[in-house]
Parts: sequence; structure tokens; C-alpha cells
Amino acid sequence: MTYNNKVEYLVGNSKIKKKAIEPYNIDVCNFLIDLSKKLASSKYSKDFSDIKTLAFWCRKNEIFKFRDRFISNEFRLGLGLLFHITPSNIPTNFAYSLIFGLLTGNSNIVKVPSKDFKQIGIICSCINEILKKKYKKVREMISIVRYSNNDEFTKKISNQCNARLIWGGDKTISTIRSFPIDQKTLDITFPDRYSFCIINSDKLLALSKKNIQILSERFYNDTYLVDQNACSSPHLICWIGKNTKKGKKLFWQNVFQIVKKKYDLNESAAIEKLTNLYGSVLSSAKIKNFKKFGNLMYILELKKLDQKNHEFRGKWGFFYEFEAFNLNQIKNFINNRYQTLSYFGIEKKILKNFIFKNYLKGIDRVVPIGQTLDMNFFWDGYDINKILTRVIDIR
Amino acid sequence: MKNTNFVFADKLTSIIKHHYKNCNKYKKILDFLNYNFKKKYKLEDQPFLPINLFKEHDLVSVPKNKIYKTLNSSGTTSNKLSKIYLDRENSYNQVKTLSQIVTKVLGKKRLPMLIIDGLHDVKNKFNLNAKVAAINGFSIFGSNHTYILNENKKINYKLLNIFLNKYADQPFFIFGFTFNVYKNLLKNFNPKLIKKDFSNGILIHGGGWKKMEKLKVNSQHFKKKLKKHINIRSIFNYYGLIEQTGSIFLECPGCNCLTTNEYSEVLIRDKDFQILPPGEKGFIQLLSLLPTSYPGHIILTEDIGEIVENNKECKICKFNKKFIIHGRHEKSEIRGCSDV
Repeated sequence: MTYNNKVEYLVGNSKIKKKAIEPYNIDVCNFLIDLSKKLASSKYSKDFSDIKTLAFWCRKNEIFKFRDRFISNEFRLGLGLLFHITPSNIPTNFAYSLIFGLLTGNSNIVKVPSKDFKQIGIICSCINEILKKKYKKVREMISIVRYSNNDEFTKKISNQCNARLIWGGDKTISTIRSFPIDQKTLDITFPDRYSFCIINSDKLLALSKKNIQILSERFYNDTYLVDQNACSSPHLICWIGKNTKKGKKLFWQNVFQIVKKKYDLNESAAIEKLTNLYGSVLSSAKIKNFKKFGNLMYILELKKLDQKNHEFRGKWGFFYEFEAFNLNQIKNFINNRYQTLSYFGIEKKILKNFIFKNYLKGIDRVVPIGQTLDMNFFWDGYDINKILTRVIDIR
Repeated sequence: MKNTNFVFADKLTSIIKHHYKNCNKYKKILDFLNYNFKKKYKLEDQPFLPINLFKEHDLVSVPKNKIYKTLNSSGTTSNKLSKIYLDRENSYNQVKTLSQIVTKVLGKKRLPMLIIDGLHDVKNKFNLNAKVAAINGFSIFGSNHTYILNENKKINYKLLNIFLNKYADQPFFIFGFTFNVYKNLLKNFNPKLIKKDFSNGILIHGGGWKKMEKLKVNSQHFKKKLKKHINIRSIFNYYGLIEQTGSIFLECPGCNCLTTNEYSEVLIRDKDFQILPPGEKGFIQLLSLLPTSYPGHIILTEDIGEIVENNKECKICKFNKKFIIHGRHEKSEIRGCSDV
């Protein structure tokens, strides 16, 4: 297999082997542990918090935790060759997708976004350094490519692979899907999702000053750290409880203190935020209130929720909020676009019942505030361990 | 000076009222901002619209059947185009105002006009984009229009010589986009191939400075080089938005600053949208008294500039507000999952 049509190989080459091995192969695990060490020690990881996060995510303890969680009674092998089409909103996303593929015992061709993120270069050069000396077996399982407008390449790989992992918007997904795959090949899609947050104001008001600060900091990490660009970052905050007014006020004030200290708003983001705000004003007549803290934080309170909430996405610290008082007010608006529900001050059991009693069509993840960005082998409703492996039924 | 300021503010208020009454979307935004017509607002407190709003929404202040022309922005930064709806009255006012500004440097008489562009390019457009609109707009100040770029976007020296032979001994008007002028009259121009020179030419150029930014050629430097290369002495840079066609800002030949006029105003804001004093760089906000068929009278652009303190040292633009442009702020390009 050789392609030269403007396909840039950041890792590996066109001679990748189509190989399916056992999940959590020890060489693969060790390779990832080495990668974690390298990324963490890399002089760059101090400049890129997302590289640090990635390093932490594939450290030794975590890898073995993933492995322990995988242990199943069935016999399993990887699917073979995976073709990853990764998104441009989160620079390190391609690495997570690759690690999913490697740990489940697959070979991987990973297409990274055409935008030249520094993080991509750093991660790829770390991988190359490790593979130069060791892990011949793993070397044959990775090829990271960058190209644009090369339908020929997409077509060829689509034709050969055993599964495609397609991250992206509706348009990307349907474009990739127009390239045929083998009858047995799987398409696993990770489309644009919408995430929201529920806060119990009464529980918030009962917190100590210090704990409110901690909660606000966690919320900051869920949102501002990625400019609200991650699918799991909340755009809408729903308030429940008796004393929502007071709770809201206290919460936003605390968040703002952190934003003021830590966040550097990009200049053009300021204008785009204003454009989005006026856009919301023009398309939705149900605005109850608007509060802004300079240009750093916009909070638009909605009078009503509807089926189109997921179309209103804030960025760079632009939040929609709604006083729901109780969960029943929200249930009718949750469609299959909803991915992560982050929460504070509500029992897990209540949230579980909320989803199961109402047979909600959306919400694949329920996590406490502060954990929305934690990548996991359960993602977008898939069990990655299972979907990227093949069961061999032996009796 | 104060007096004219008051006149401008009053006129602006009545334009705001007009749009509020006639553009439902504009009304929605002003209501959202709790705009109060009984209150007297300072110029800087009047509500501004971000320039990209015209890309996302159709904003019109006249009945649809009165619209006779739609202008589109050149759309270099994104795929979406701004749509500017013009009725006859608005269009007429644009021409009138442009004429009042431009005749100050060209004189009242129509001059033979050289256009640093291709006729082919201009006439092939269905929609009126910024480029065609600008060429058409300036064309009314010229006669014997000669487009000197051929289909390969290179100078047709034969045509140029015919033009120069006929008109080079009298004042003539040259119009082009800055980058085109740079490329064709400076970088690739061979003075040996012309028999007469440009010493009587008056050049007005503007737009396309995004490409110029990359070349790191500033306006002053550009002027000097052009003078040296083709012996042209009158050179005027202009700055304007398609959203505010007509009320353009011409560069003062004395101090090389862009200047406001009685139809326009400029303010500079920081990223919190606070007003910045002279000498500090920020977003350029432009105010124009011309837009009536669409609410483009107060626009916050993504262009970066600064006000230059008018110390009255320049004899030519003593009484005007002056500013300079530094370029456009680089877009943060992350746009969500949809862009791969």
C-alpha cells in the first residue's frame, strides 16, 4: 500500500499491518506507560495543560485500571484495522482515539485535523522517539496521517479497514459515510453533542466559603479550560431547589473570581461572543434576563426550554441558564443530542431514576461537576472495550 | 468642532429611531439592551452591532419591495457573506457622500480613469460584491474608463500606453485595490515599457490590505516606493466597510492618517469593549450617517486600529479626528466538532 498524494505521515508509514491482537497486550500497555512518562516529562507539558491531562490519563495505574475493568468471560480479539477521523475542536482528541484502538488490540490509521495544533506535533514526536528504540510490534500498529481533500486516500482506507471511528459534525460524518466500507465493517460515530449541568441551589448555599470556591474552580475546568468547545462542556445550567436566586448569584460571583484570575479571553472571541449573544436574541424570544461580567462571562437566562436548546451553544464563557425548580420541568426537552449531565447537590440515585423512569432519549454520561472532560472507555453511550473487539465463542 | 459633534450625535439618534421603527430585528436587540429613547446617550454609549451579525442575519429597515440592490461582502475570513440591502434613497446618499469626499482630492471635473483591475473580472459577477461595488462607486468620478489588467491579471502595456499617450499630460485618476496596485504598479511593473509617466496621476487605493499586512509594507513606505518607481505624486489610501459604503475614510496627504468627515465617526474599544484613548490599539468601531435601508450605522469591526491625537501640527487635517489601522485580529479558528 503506498500513497503519496499529499498524505503526510506524522507517525509510521503506508506499510501498516492489518493486525488484530488480544486487548491490553502487555507490549501495548508498556508502550503507553512509556508514552505517559515521556509526555509528562516533556518540556512542553508545562505549556499545554491538555498534554499533561493526556499523560495523566495513560499513566501506569490508569492503564491497569482500564485493563482490570475490561476483564471479561468471553474470548476477545481486536477487530483489525481502525480508521480514525478525528475532530479539530480538541487538539489532543486524536490521541485518545488512538489509545482506545491500541488497547483494544487494533492497528490504527489516525487522520488528524488539518489545523496545525502544536500539541499534535509534540505527541507525535514523543511517539516516534519511543518507537525508534523499542516496541516493533506496536510500531506496525500505528500510522498517524494529515491530509485534506484527498478522497482517494479516504476511499482506500475506508475500503480496507474493519471499523471507522468518525468524530465530527453532521457534515463530516455524512461525507465520510459516502465512502463505502466492507459489509462487515463498523462505523462508530461521535457526532456533535450537547451537554448541560444541574445545580441544587439549596445544597450550594449550605456549602462553606472554601467549598464553593472549589466547586467553582471545577466548573471553570469543565468550561473555560477548553473554551466550552468540548462536547461534554456544559452550555446550559439548570437550577433546582427552593432558593435558586440566591444560589445563582453566589455561584456566578465565585466563578467570575476564578475567571478573572485565570482566563485570557482571545480578542476575536469577544466580538464573536457579542455576535452569538445578539444571534440568540434574534432567534429566541424567550429571554428572561441577561447578566454579564465584562466580556469574560455572559449569562443568558431563559424563560422556557424547548426542543431546540441544543442549538444554542455558548463559547468562551457564555452560559444559558434556566430555573427549573425540579427535574420534571426538564425531562421533555432531552433528546439524543444530550451527552453529559454534570451535577452538584443531587443524589446519584435520583438522577438515575430521572433517566430510567422517563426513558430519556439522551444523556449518556452523568458526572459530578469537574469531571466532564475525563475521557473514559464508556463514551457517547458506547462501551469502547466491547465495540472495538470481536467475541470468539468457544464451547 | 464641538458643534459638529452635536450635529452628528443628533443625526445619529434620529437614524437609530428610524431603524428601531422599521427593522424588527434591530428593535429586538435595542429592547434587549433596554434602550431608552428619552435618555440622551453619549456617542460611545450608543448600541453597536458586531460586523458578523450581517453575515448571520438579514437586517433590513425598508419593505422588501423597495430593495433594488444587494451588496455582498468579499467574505475572505469565512464562507458566509454579509448581505447589505439597499433602496434607492440609501444608494443615492452613498453616491452623493462618496462624491463629496472624493471630489476634495479629484476636483469637480471627471477625469480620465485608469482601473488597476480586469474588465473581465468585474463584469462577470452576478452579485455585487465589495470589489465590484467599489469599482462601480468610484467609476462615476472618471471618464474613458480603462481597465488595464488582462485575463491573466497582468498589465496590458499596449492599452496602458494608449491611455497614457492620450491623457498623461493632464490630471488623470487611477483606482485600484491596494494589493493589485502593489503587485502591478510596483512589484511587477516595468517602467521601461511605458513612454509617458504617471506624474499627473492621482491614485486612490484601498481594501485588500490583509494581503499587504503579510508583506509588511506600510502605507508610507508604499507611497515612497510608488513615487520612486513610477513617479506618481498624489496617492490616497482609503478605508471603508461595505456595510458603510459611501462614508469612506481618506488618508490625509499631510500626515498619512485616516480622517473622519461630517458623515462618519470612529471609536476604539478594548476587548471588554471599553473606550480606549488616543494611542492605544483596539477594535475599530465605525459610525456612519448613511445607512437607512439596513441598520449598519454603528458597527464594531474586527479591525485593529488606534486614534491619533490631533495636535493640529498637520495643516491639512487640523479639524478632523484621525486614526490608523494595524490589521485584523487573528481569528481563533476552533469552531466545534464540525470542522475536521
